[in-house]
Amino acid sequence: MSNYIPTIGVEVHVELKTKTKIFSNSTNGYGEMANSLTNVIDLGYPGTLPTLNEEVINLAIKAATVLNCKIRREMHFDRKNYFYPDNPKNYQITQSRTPIGYDGYVEVEVNGVKKKIEIEEMHIEEDTCKSTHRGTKTLLDFNRAGVPLIEIVTKPCMTSGDEAKAYLEKLRELLFYCDVSDCKIEEGSMRADANVSIRKNESDPFGTKAEIKNIGSITNVAISINKEIERQSKLYDNGETFKPQTRRYDDKLGDTVLMRVKETGNDYRYFPEPDIPFVYVTDEMIENVVKTIPMLPDERRTIYIEKGVPEVNANKIVQNRSLSDYFNTLLDENTNFKIASNLLLGDIAAYLNKEEKLITDTTLTKERFVELIKNMEDNTLTSKNLKDILNKVLEETSSISEIIKASGIENITDDSAIREVIKKVIEENPGSVEDYKTGHDRAIKFLMGQVMKASRGSANPKIAMDILMEELK
Amino acid sequence: MDDRLSKEEVLHVAELARIAISESELEKYQIQLKQIMDSVDKIKEVEVNDEKMLIANWSEPTKLREDTAGEMLNPKEVIGNAPRHSGNYIEVPVVIGEES
Amino acid sequence: MKYLNKSVLELHELLKDKKIKPIDLVEEAFANIEENKELNAYITLNKEEAIKQAKELENKEVDNVLFGMPIAIKDNIVTKDLLTTCASHMLENFTPIYDATVIEKIKSKNMIIIGKTNMDEFAMGSTSRTSYFGSPLNPWNKERISGGSSGGSAVTIAARDLPFALGSDTGGSIRQPSSYCGIVGMKPTYGRVSRYGLIAFASSMDQIGPMTKNVYENALLLNAIVGKDNKDLTSANKEAEDFTRLIGKDIKDMKIAVPKYFMSDIVSNEVKLKIEETINLLKNAGAVVDYVDMKYLDQAVTLYQVIALGEASSNLARFDGIRYGFSAENPENIKDVYFKTRQEGFGTEVKRRIMVGAHILSGENAKVYYDKAMSVRAAMRDEFKRIYKDYDLIIGPTATTTAYAQTESLDDPLKSFLDDVLVNPANMAGLPGLNVPVGFDNSNMPIGMHIIGNDFDEARMYQLASYIEKELNLDLTPGGEK
Repeated sequence: MSNYIPTIGVEVHVELKTKTKIFSNSTNGYGEMANSLTNVIDLGYPGTLPTLNEEVINLAIKAATVLNCKIRREMHFDRKNYFYPDNPKNYQITQSRTPIGYDGYVEVEVNGVKKKIEIEEMHIEEDTCKSTHRGTKTLLDFNRAGVPLIEIVTKPCMTSGDEAKAYLEKLRELLFYCDVSDCKIEEGSMRADANVSIRKNESDPFGTKAEIKNIGSITNVAISINKEIERQSKLYDNGETFKPQTRRYDDKLGDTVLMRVKETGNDYRYFPEPDIPFVYVTDEMIENVVKTIPMLPDERRTIYIEKGVPEVNANKIVQNRSLSDYFNTLLDENTNFKIASNLLLGDIAAYLNKEEKLITDTTLTKERFVELIKNMEDNTLTSKNLKDILNKVLEETSSISEIIKASGIENITDDSAIREVIKKVIEENPGSVEDYKTGHDRAIKFLMGQVMKASRGSANPKIAMDILMEELK
Repeated sequence: MDDRLSKEEVLHVAELARIAISESELEKYQIQLKQIMDSVDKIKEVEVNDEKMLIANWSEPTKLREDTAGEMLNPKEVIGNAPRHSGNYIEVPVVIGEES
Repeated sequence: MKYLNKSVLELHELLKDKKIKPIDLVEEAFANIEENKELNAYITLNKEEAIKQAKELENKEVDNVLFGMPIAIKDNIVTKDLLTTCASHMLENFTPIYDATVIEKIKSKNMIIIGKTNMDEFAMGSTSRTSYFGSPLNPWNKERISGGSSGGSAVTIAARDLPFALGSDTGGSIRQPSSYCGIVGMKPTYGRVSRYGLIAFASSMDQIGPMTKNVYENALLLNAIVGKDNKDLTSANKEAEDFTRLIGKDIKDMKIAVPKYFMSDIVSNEVKLKIEETINLLKNAGAVVDYVDMKYLDQAVTLYQVIALGEASSNLARFDGIRYGFSAENPENIKDVYFKTRQEGFGTEVKRRIMVGAHILSGENAKVYYDKAMSVRAAMRDEFKRIYKDYDLIIGPTATTTAYAQTESLDDPLKSFLDDVLVNPANMAGLPGLNVPVGFDNSNMPIGMHIIGNDFDEARMYQLASYIEKELNLDLTPGGEK
């Protein structure tokens, strides 16, 4: 197979996390009884008119901001006209001429190389209703009709499935972090379509485009795009051509399959929506929204690493937003962040998974966590002992030191008790003592081992070492 | 100038509008739509100084609605006016493929 | 005993003094409608419910001037639990599950809905002949058209069935039938009255308005239906006002413009003469009346065709036989549901207009026609605004002729557009327009004057209209006072 240059653009629909729909005040919900979340506006009843949900504009401003888009200050809506049973008015209210966001980008890293994925535009529109096919019938549930969406369209600027995957992961992380959307692909609150074409040389015009629709997971985005590149390459290698077409990814086949060949472009008859006057986005609106944007994942990772968290830990924490938010509350403390990250991702994460809890559901306040870290750092508590008291640490409210005391696993830090043990070890191992004194440094390790063994692991290793050195002088 | 639109043009708009037209109606529409379009065509000749567009005579910008839920219909009301329904669903003959 | 020939103020006093009851008015209205049955003004009567409501009102305080008054509603305004057909087979059996905002308002005044009036199908027409339920007849001459699209509302008022009706006006549909039937009809400023519940024809122009026997009662009904509505983003945030407040004030020094185009050859001589007579009357009263040049007025019909039909093709897409309304029998597939439902459910005029609208918005046409039309529209509005810098009101004839024969121009797809040439501009510019009768032609058919006001200046229009009404003191009851 020859080498071709792929060109990939991605369109993503994201459902916004609002309480109500975009153009009516019925509830925006998922998984409820069919046709129980609608009103006459969602159903496109004669005489009804749209209103516009404030929160939709706010979330769109937020998304535009985190995607580094310019924000349009004067915008209107447009009607996209097409007949389809899931489209109650047989026109969709969308933004064609004045998308709220434009000229944005997100930065991704693929195989260690950073790249800006350019965003052409981002607009607001309404979702359609849900159709279920049953034999010779299609059943319509209008609960989803009018759920607010933003559609984010990249420039045709990506060159591999991996880049598209990285872009989608980044997009999901950003929009999820700032509460724009749940971004659940499996529930349809995030949906991705990819446009793929290939060409021989940079200087050639773009090749024929295939659109891959409704890809079910981010992993499949990469697979389906790469498969499509492969398919197109083989066709070109054989001197064949193909028509612009829409394909879908078949998970079982592990390949894309043809849905339909595109006829001469769709005739959507766009025109400005007369029922919704201009919307003006003011500085004040933007400022108020920007205030609500939390620290974004990239910044979090950078700060964590600066604070001494290993990179792999930093990435893992950021993947779990509630852990990361919790971790952020520690950032002002003077504590050991490496230990903190190990604890959170280790025993604590295991506990949370098992109990199906969030860190904020536990009794581990910031103060108690800092105390716990301190006890680990000065070896008052070993990892082994922590396991024994973890439930108490996470479920009770008494201080960590009280829990340690009450459970009788306190490390022996009392000098006289350790000194006794050490004296006994020195007496019992004259050979090793002799070795040490004649310059065999390795002997000290053996002696320390004996000390720890005699104290059954409860001696504070640092203190024990100091005393051992003293006694050997 | 032709006194009628082509059959293809009429069939295309009938397709866009989802209106079936019989063979006998076709010719009538070819002529009548053309009569109206000849009138509409005059818009091309009008000269304006300004490219600004008036979508509608809105007296104020959009006042945004608070994101608070209101009353909804129950599923029985939703299907109440629907010609075909099944359970709580509105029903249509099976739809294959995608929007055209 | 007949009461409904009395003025609304007299009726109000009688109701307040318990000399009559609402049921008396309601029964008389239904009797009148029965008597005038052949005029075909109504599609649906609300008899049972109206009588029930009238009886319930007997125990309530008469708290406003419209209390207990019978009213007719154009059948494109949705009424909960009362058939709303838009004069179309498509909605022949459609029972809405909510009330339009104007209906809530008139109900809150305890007005009584008598029935739903006949009209052009989906308000598309200027004669009411496109109604699926047959054409209403002009009470002045049953061989003549009523005008349209609010023909039924104009007919029932002209026939003195009852005192109040609501119409809707997208390109002249209140004013033009008011002119043909010799009544007062107001299309308010765009945004003055909520459109929520008005079945949309062309959203950027549709407006609901009052139709009555006289100017004062027209203002009374407008008082009741205006106001900001949070369900309609295009409704204007205007304080309530009393539109009767300038009625009776003299018109000395009022500055009035007559665009020359409105008095050009497109208008019949009889109509023109009557308007000139009225202009002289105004001059004699001390008003300043100037003939002015205005650009773009001659483009109004073309503009209307592009914008109204483009919007209509989209607004009427929702009638697809899936969620409500008519649906073709035994469809084999989804294509049948759409194509057959819309073929069988819509009448010829509606289908023609929808197809033209689809054509206008199709592909590159959207730019060539629609965008251009929006620019011409902006220029036309600017032109009106230029005139209002120097003038209070603009006047001219409402229609180029009086009502013509039911049989005339039945197959002419352009006639219905041309009938509205003088009334379209106000819709384009969003301005209020009013018809007031100013006389009759040689066949004793009414002639109307059109008054176009500046934005939200309805009170001043009523001032001028009531002056004309008082001075002319015409007998506007078909067949003479009974």
